[in-house]
Amino acid sequence: MGMTGKERLTALLSGKDVDRIPVLSVCQYVTYGLMEKTGAYWPEAHYDGEKMARLSAGGAEILHLDAVRVPYCQTVEAEIYGSAIKDGGRTHLPSIAKPAFSLGEEPRIPENFTAKGRIPAVLDAIRRLKQTVGAETLVMGSLVGPFSVAANIIGVSALLKASLRKPEQLVPYFEAAEKTAEQYAQAIIDAGADAIVIEDMMASLDMISPKTYQAMAAPYEKQLIDFIGGRVPVIIHICGKLDQVMKDVAATGAAAISVESAVDIPAAKEEFRQAGITTPILGAVHPIDVLLEGSREDVREAVQQSVAAGVDAISPDCAIAPDTPLENLLELTKAAAELDL
Amino acid sequence: MADKDILSELKQSILDFDEDAALELAQESLAQGIDPVEAVGVLADGLNELGVKFERMEVFLPEIMLASDAFKNALSVLEPEIKKKNTEGKKAIPIVIGTVQGDIHQVGKDMVATFLATAGFEVYDLGVDVAPSRFLEEAKRLGAKVIAAASLMSTTRPVQKDLIDFLEAKGVRDQFIVLVGGGVVTQEWADQIAADGYGQDAIATVNLAKRLLHVA
Repeated sequence: MGMTGKERLTALLSGKDVDRIPVLSVCQYVTYGLMEKTGAYWPEAHYDGEKMARLSAGGAEILHLDAVRVPYCQTVEAEIYGSAIKDGGRTHLPSIAKPAFSLGEEPRIPENFTAKGRIPAVLDAIRRLKQTVGAETLVMGSLVGPFSVAANIIGVSALLKASLRKPEQLVPYFEAAEKTAEQYAQAIIDAGADAIVIEDMMASLDMISPKTYQAMAAPYEKQLIDFIGGRVPVIIHICGKLDQVMKDVAATGAAAISVESAVDIPAAKEEFRQAGITTPILGAVHPIDVLLEGSREDVREAVQQSVAAGVDAISPDCAIAPDTPLENLLELTKAAAELDL
Repeated sequence: MADKDILSELKQSILDFDEDAALELAQESLAQGIDPVEAVGVLADGLNELGVKFERMEVFLPEIMLASDAFKNALSVLEPEIKKKNTEGKKAIPIVIGTVQGDIHQVGKDMVATFLATAGFEVYDLGVDVAPSRFLEEAKRLGAKVIAAASLMSTTRPVQKDLIDFLEAKGVRDQFIVLVGGGVVTQEWADQIAADGYGQDAIATVNLAKRLLHVA
């Protein structure tokens, strides 16, 4: 008998041996195909815990991933802060229509943060997933990193420009976003999640310099991970070519780092080895070139390449496009399961 | 000699992403009788130099955004002068541009819009989160033959196809040249959705537009 997905990922995230390479999608994995198979659809599944759980459970029941996750989008926190959200309907994810604050305004922390907006639905979904697929599958609650929440509540352009010109003006937003992330993380742990994903997509070197990452993103990621304090493992996901900051990301204390194929993974592994860092690196199958547009053979090859590059678990680079063919996602798990370590 | 100095200072204002200096130096260059086309040329050189550094990860997006603001500032005084010179003879070709519905990424699209404007097109920037119906309405209203649609997210790329399908459904597809671009877009995708062209970056998009519209 091999390990269950949950045992496999739990082992990986605590530095133990695994029976084969784990496979998961650290970021969102819902597709139109998965909606049809589960009968739970966007946009309802963003708001209703039962539908959210049913759709996410498809990650285990249909895609055979080792982990499931909720929610799908990155707007939950910003909505509670007062950013206007544009619904994505059946086919797209919700997005930020208008940020809550203008730079210079005081970022008020909403009271009873975790009772507001879609957080109760996310928590409900976590509890349901623990019941339905949680015996064998790792249940992950995902929240947005403080730097990225700040971007979602004051606007990406405003944040990026201020990061060069008036960095001190950003501090109150980072501090507020870190505080509410602690509350949200606590609620996710209380709901019974096995792991927490921190998606800090704006903390990417596609957006900011290594210096800005070190000064404005990493400290708050670390503070949040310190708060979680190992009660559940934390997987941190940051997009883009992170080579220059991989050691800084590891220093946040995350149990694993999820990266894109843009990162030179062999170089990062070597850098880690020399520094005595053992943090696993998860990745790195391209969601567009391979999963969306590639053939099943391409998927198989990308899985093999990722393993050859040294990843410790297979995961897509970032969010999967919702029109990704189901057979490619099935091939992802199949190819990983068939690999000899 | 004075010309050279102000032009190199103008370029430096872009490299320093200094909005105020860019504006002042653009005004100064006009006062000195420098050809505004030449002034825009050195500004574009500055942006290109930063672009190369950006590729090498020596400068990052915030610097590019501020440099782009500086460029726009300078352009706001130079462009009217260029237009004055261009009024006789050829009329500028209108283009509508925007980031597709559900996507709020602005920077790359702004860059393309800016380069198209400097290349002499009449650019109407519809902003971000633009619905297919709005692309069509605005293109009709402005008499634009070209629609440029950007997508920067794997989750919003299908909206470029929605736009083309929408034009088909309205029976007007053949009246417009649809250009697609953005970080997640590829030539393969453009071919698959039967877009008229794929612009890999701002400069490639300008060249593409010129080629498709048969302008020099």
